[in-house]
Amino acid sequence: MTQTLLPVTDIAARGYAHPEVLVSTQWVAEHLTDPKVRLVESNEDILLYETGHIPGAVKVDWVADLNDPLIRDYVDRSRFEQLLRAKGINQDTTIVFYGDKNNWWATYAFWVFRLFGVDNLKVMDGGRLRWAEEGRPFETTAVRPAPGTITVRERDDSRIRAFRDRVETHVARHKPLVDVRSPEEYRGERLHMPEYPNEGALRGGHIPGARSIPWGRAINPDTHTFRPAEELRTIYQHENGLPLDDEIVVYCRIGERSSHTWFALTYLLGYNRVRNYDGSWTEWGNQVRALIEKP
Amino acid sequence: MDRDTRIAWLVQHAQRPRHTTPLPDADISVPGGNPGCGDLLTAYLKAAPGDNRVAAVSFVGTGCGLSQASASILAERMNRDHPSFAQVLDFTYEQMMDLVGRDVADARPRCATLALGTLKAAVKAVEMNRKLKAAGKTEAEIAELRRAISAAAEGTGLVLGEEAAAAARGIGV
Repeated sequence: MTQTLLPVTDIAARGYAHPEVLVSTQWVAEHLTDPKVRLVESNEDILLYETGHIPGAVKVDWVADLNDPLIRDYVDRSRFEQLLRAKGINQDTTIVFYGDKNNWWATYAFWVFRLFGVDNLKVMDGGRLRWAEEGRPFETTAVRPAPGTITVRERDDSRIRAFRDRVETHVARHKPLVDVRSPEEYRGERLHMPEYPNEGALRGGHIPGARSIPWGRAINPDTHTFRPAEELRTIYQHENGLPLDDEIVVYCRIGERSSHTWFALTYLLGYNRVRNYDGSWTEWGNQVRALIEKP
Repeated sequence: MDRDTRIAWLVQHAQRPRHTTPLPDADISVPGGNPGCGDLLTAYLKAAPGDNRVAAVSFVGTGCGLSQASASILAERMNRDHPSFAQVLDFTYEQMMDLVGRDVADARPRCATLALGTLKAAVKAVEMNRKLKAAGKTEAEIAELRRAISAAAEGTGLVLGEEAAAAARGIGV
């Protein structure tokens, strides 16, 4: 260790509904050579992994690896299985995600892996930044694991993913929606990207009835780790009234930041009917006659 | 260049970017930010005296490796070729992505083209300043028009000017 850091409470003591999905940096350090553990780095910064990664970690890029190159959708079962095998993943492998941006992309990869029913998934609490601040090692050596043998199921979009028609019904039924974008995006003050139509929207605002809860609120900015359950409950339940047993839809711009909130609600607080609307604002804000609210 | 070699080249530029010192005699400096991913660059442009041509360019910024590497690569190109303003404005975002490498840039187009977008804004501003000065406009009038350029950038994917840093930070909140 080279820096004095604010300590973090043990994951087991934070009151999470499913503490088993989070592991500490120390846990990862102790399992670097565990053949049953595969570390997967997933970042916003496409070159970050190449500048140094946790020893033994492989890279999964959300665009190049998880998105279908033609249709706006995720890869199919065959491609996904091929990807996982290339990363040395077997049926009994424990996969530990970590990445930049407070694990924003790590939880996105986690969510996509869950669409395919992959089990034994965990996230390294604090992400890449915490690992770095603790002075733990990085390496630039190329990681080329022996091909894995995992078999994955067909993707199941019915449980944790929401499509536009479901969201429209959700709005009509006045069910809870969470907009995890920045307040400026929520208010429709920031519109961008005609030159990048894949990420742009023609209209600004938010889906009617959505609560604005920026995704980063789930993170303690001093430690980069998830806030304890009590603090999360204050944010999501007391301040914003999200009922634990209700159907909830979360969204952002393309479904990445909202996967972070999906993760926090589902695994840390125990909500079991949360869906991520990955069409998000790039779909809703471009849709003819879609209802939009602007404060 | 194969993918591994290209990645190594980009990482090298990202870790040791070229032309990152503010130009003290720049005609203009224009900040540009990508709303959403935290990339921020300020383009410094020195124009050739009496010629609508680039004399020197530098970029100062923070952000992801690809945004900073792309700025470094673009600055190298500009400082080597000294293109005319028209050539800079004609240099397309697609060409910029080819320059950086499609196999990487296709996955992060906004990061790969931030430097070019910011440089184009700087070129437009210098070009306009010169025209306005030739037409006898005052500095105050020119400053007002600069603000108009920033306003015109709204909706282009970039936030230019003083709001760039705040915009680049925005989504992280």
